[in-house]
Amino acid sequence: MGVPAFFRWLSRKYPSIIVHCVEEKGRECNGVRVPVDTTKPNPNEVEFDNLYLDMNGIIHPCTHPEDKPAPKNEDEMMVAIFEYIDRLFNIVRPRRVLYMAIDGVAPRAKMNQQRSRRFRASKEGVELTEEKNRMREEVIQRGGYLPPEEIKERFDSNCITPGTEFMDNLARCLRYYVADRLSNDPGWKNVVVFLSDASVPGEGEHKIMDFIRRQRAQPNHDPNTHHCLCGADADLIMLGLATHEPNFTIIREEFKPNKPRPCALCGQMGHDIKECQGVAREKQGQHDEFADAMPVAEQEFIFIRLCVLREYLARELTMASLPFPFDFERSIDDWVFMCFFVGNDFLPHLPSLEIREGAIDRLVNIYKDVVHKTGGYLTQNGYVNLERVEMIMQAVGVAEDNIFKKRKEDDENFKRRNKEKRKRMKAEQQGPAYLTSGQFAPQALGRRDRPEPVQNARHQAYGMRMQSAEQHNKDAAQSLKSMMRNGGRSSAGVSDGPDSRGAKRKAEDSDSEPEPEDNVRLWEEGWKQRYYKTKFDVDVSDEGFRKKVVRSYVEGLCWVLRYYYQGCASWKWYFPFHYAPFASDFKDIKEMFSDFEKDTKPFKPLEQLMGVFPAASGNFLPPSWRNLMMSAESSIIDFYPDDFAIDLNGKKYAWQGESLFLNKRTDDITTRSARLELYFTSLRRNSLGSDVLFLGKSHPLFDFIHELYRTETREGTVVPAELCHGIQGTLTLDEDPILPDETVKSPIPMLRDISHNSSINVKFKDPQFTEGFVFKAVLLPGAKMPNKVLKPEDFERGNRGSWRPQLGFNPNRQQAHLDQSGFRRILNHLFCSSSHGLNRNQQFGGQYSNAPPPSSYNQGSYSRPAHSAGHQQFQRKTPPPAP
Amino acid sequence: MSGVRCGDDVSDYLRQNPQLAQWVESFRGYCESNKQWSARREFILRNMEAFPTVKPGTSSSSLDKLLSLSMVWANHVFLGCSYPQAVMDKIKKMGEGIAVQDPPVHKTTKDGIMSRGKRSATDEGDADSCVKRAKAAPNELNAAWNMTQKSGPPPQAPAEHQPFFNRLYKAVAWKLVSAGGFGPNLDHFEILRSCVESCKQTLTCVFVPLKDIAGLPAGRTQKDGHVCEIRCQMVYMGTGYGRDESAAKAMASKEALKVFQGRKVTVKICRRRYKGRDVEDLVLLDELPRSQGFPPALSYPFQDEQLEHTSS
Repeated sequence: MGVPAFFRWLSRKYPSIIVHCVEEKGRECNGVRVPVDTTKPNPNEVEFDNLYLDMNGIIHPCTHPEDKPAPKNEDEMMVAIFEYIDRLFNIVRPRRVLYMAIDGVAPRAKMNQQRSRRFRASKEGVELTEEKNRMREEVIQRGGYLPPEEIKERFDSNCITPGTEFMDNLARCLRYYVADRLSNDPGWKNVVVFLSDASVPGEGEHKIMDFIRRQRAQPNHDPNTHHCLCGADADLIMLGLATHEPNFTIIREEFKPNKPRPCALCGQMGHDIKECQGVAREKQGQHDEFADAMPVAEQEFIFIRLCVLREYLARELTMASLPFPFDFERSIDDWVFMCFFVGNDFLPHLPSLEIREGAIDRLVNIYKDVVHKTGGYLTQNGYVNLERVEMIMQAVGVAEDNIFKKRKEDDENFKRRNKEKRKRMKAEQQGPAYLTSGQFAPQALGRRDRPEPVQNARHQAYGMRMQSAEQHNKDAAQSLKSMMRNGGRSSAGVSDGPDSRGAKRKAEDSDSEPEPEDNVRLWEEGWKQRYYKTKFDVDVSDEGFRKKVVRSYVEGLCWVLRYYYQGCASWKWYFPFHYAPFASDFKDIKEMFSDFEKDTKPFKPLEQLMGVFPAASGNFLPPSWRNLMMSAESSIIDFYPDDFAIDLNGKKYAWQGESLFLNKRTDDITTRSARLELYFTSLRRNSLGSDVLFLGKSHPLFDFIHELYRTETREGTVVPAELCHGIQGTLTLDEDPILPDETVKSPIPMLRDISHNSSINVKFKDPQFTEGFVFKAVLLPGAKMPNKVLKPEDFERGNRGSWRPQLGFNPNRQQAHLDQSGFRRILNHLFCSSSHGLNRNQQFGGQYSNAPPPSSYNQGSYSRPAHSAGHQQFQRKTPPPAP
Repeated sequence: MSGVRCGDDVSDYLRQNPQLAQWVESFRGYCESNKQWSARREFILRNMEAFPTVKPGTSSSSLDKLLSLSMVWANHVFLGCSYPQAVMDKIKKMGEGIAVQDPPVHKTTKDGIMSRGKRSATDEGDADSCVKRAKAAPNELNAAWNMTQKSGPPPQAPAEHQPFFNRLYKAVAWKLVSAGGFGPNLDHFEILRSCVESCKQTLTCVFVPLKDIAGLPAGRTQKDGHVCEIRCQMVYMGTGYGRDESAAKAMASKEALKVFQGRKVTVKICRRRYKGRDVEDLVLLDELPRSQGFPPALSYPFQDEQLEHTSS
């Protein structure tokens, strides 16, 4: 679920699920980097067994980062990826398994989204360049200065799609990386590494789920394995809950919305391309010594503890006096199911359910109301009970009218507040520090508004003094706030005379701010007709068409749930419309769905490429196929429009709009491209690969695998469960294996070959089950639930002293504690830097308040010398006792 | 009405050929509505002769091509997609004569997003974006494309430009007040220019020597002199004649300022002549009824490939 709103909502409602990571940083000693010893206990005071990496969440930020300069070439990208994995490994320190999964070909249902993202990306790229050129000219005409345009090759992130050469290279580099770490890093010594590259079909996170699901279903699985899954998608939370493993943690980068980004034109922070004025760059620091430092701290990581989320949900979902016994595990499944209504990658969300409007709470309430009538749960093991779902939908449908009205109201309020806020912000706006203000503010030539003569000199002088003091203060803090402030206009301060205000007003109350016209007007009578008319271009009387949409949506709900609980039910299924029906349209849905087509096969990587790429990314394909995307003679030309409409109605951001050209198609792309199969089969890149298992010499399974190679066992061999923490699967020999004591060539020029390799690899296949096997969504016998974290609801104060909230993983962790001198130091430090400036004397008149302020720029961790672990150290260690 | 008739023709035809009907029906998409399907069906049937190897009941690569082009056409008309020029030309020809009742109007992102920002007014101002606009125009036009309308400003253009001209109206009014009212002894161009620039826009002046204008009334004797046309944000404001370019410009500005003497100004789409053809143009009007038509246009910023295509 690419909905950031979901995670935001979750972390606000259930704050205790989040634990900040403690990360031990590598140190530098005389210019030599000393790596962190990951064999030591985990500083987070918890030990993880398995770490799963959804690699696409790593590849994207490493290849085209948003907050730092992009890597120059592919080799640097690979190294960035390696470093990122090292960092995660250091934080999580898995003891048994490291599973790396790169997205392979996705089910057809997902390809819709991929396709629209890629088309959108390429269209936006073109538009950005156009906009840039236009603005550049405008700024230069106005006499602004812009740094010369850098000519650099834009990395087309579209190449992160299975089947491209880039992905093939990446897989090779990762093999090298794993072999290197297994041979050289003691922390990796006993870890089994699985690498599932882009040639293995399935989305990364779902390949991981499949692995967990299949391991759970075999008898040797350790029910108390502690899983840690890395990835930022909100649906990982759903997937984690769906496993019903008691110890499941998700690690992701801390969510920081609205990170400041440099202007695409002049490269300065504080404004975006539209507001670029081409003013000279402001000095960073007194002598411009921080010019290259990006004012953003390194991304930190957070853990999301699903066992705590389960505690929260238990409180919310537990219902008394049910006509049937309450089963918490099944109510979790129902909760996961209901979250799909609000948004997922495969279906558009229902128009009446917006996560920002508390849609999930609404659903949970309805669910609890209706469950008495339904007489049971909505789902079981990933299969949906449609009759009961209909009752929920009808209950939502009743409220639909009011929801739309309320939304309009809220929207209007929001706009009004925003307008006021913008006004306020504008009043505070300031130009760069070197701009003079007041009477001496620069004025454009030939304008009517001449500077006001000074009316009250003392007042004016005071104002300017205050302003410069404040400016100084801000410099000192160099807070993010001031970075985000829109640099630019200079008319702030006392000089805001009547004249300049007049000029400003004119620009402001341009009654325009044209929004895309909303023809649907969901808040007005007759919304249903208008919705179907504008979105589907059919009349509301066309009952048959509406039924078709509902049927597809119902199929979709069944498909998605099955995908999460049992794996991909059909590689071919997809939702063929752009929009969802209304909740009130879900009538008589019980008969609408029976089962999916059996034995569908995943696509070939190059079929997927043809399916999701716009013609502009055709350079990743051989020339003959590229031609199919452009020529008027091509028989699949209809899949490659070079421009398309985007529906912005009711969507706040452009990216949320729908790309309208999609899935206009029944005989889908593959039947067409079946004729191209001839070409497709020729390439290795196009074949389906297999998961690969790696391990090092000291692992108990090592000799077993080595023996397989020595005896050249051709058929698959089952992993002896006792050698590998109960992990099962089938091993087959790799055609081009990494073998101990054979040199592993480095695919990256700047890294060395591994001459003393002590790792080995072999193909791995998950345990197979008979067809029709249903993976049970239950707690396994023998699973021990982790300790409760939340404050018990019946907690009484006098009972056991006051409640102490748990901050990390360990309930008994040693609290850090400061002695007197420590407090003094902190107070000193804090108050000095905050009161330095104008109100120093008013606030804290203590004897230390005259101490010099700390150097103004060592606040963010970006300028820290490498040896400090900062506050982390400080949390863990108790300082020496007071003298 | 013609659309209905055509549709009827098609269904009559299909009733007489049930086998063909069945065959064609197999190409219908699951998510295609009746309206879209009947249009696409007509497209397929009409163009079958052009693909002689297409035989009902058999599949072939030329059938694939025809189906693909029919999808291109439908995506274009109903979803607002555009394709490489060669493909567009082809389907345009193939789709001639098929009338679609009120096809949906789509905006491409350019119009959708760009017009949201504060800059909407500046967007179309400079010549640079005129070019861009002309490029963007085909898409939105094509989306609303039917056989009657060949080119011209997009239907939403007047509404987009109106706020700017409201501001300009205020600016001009104040400027004239401070200059002592509208009259013959003003520097009209200077007034117009400063007002437009105070609204952060620029004027576009096009000059054409009189002798280059074809089709002047025969009785006219003057052969020298220049004609000037003033536009702002592509909206036509006025035309003027003078001995030299600056005189022509002054005259055109005076004409333009006259429009601002009413209670308000309105941007409208009007028909006028351009190079001997009738075209739709964006024009700034006062609320008074006009006694005469507009002078022929000297420039036409909404020109697109279609127009050129037909003219060449």
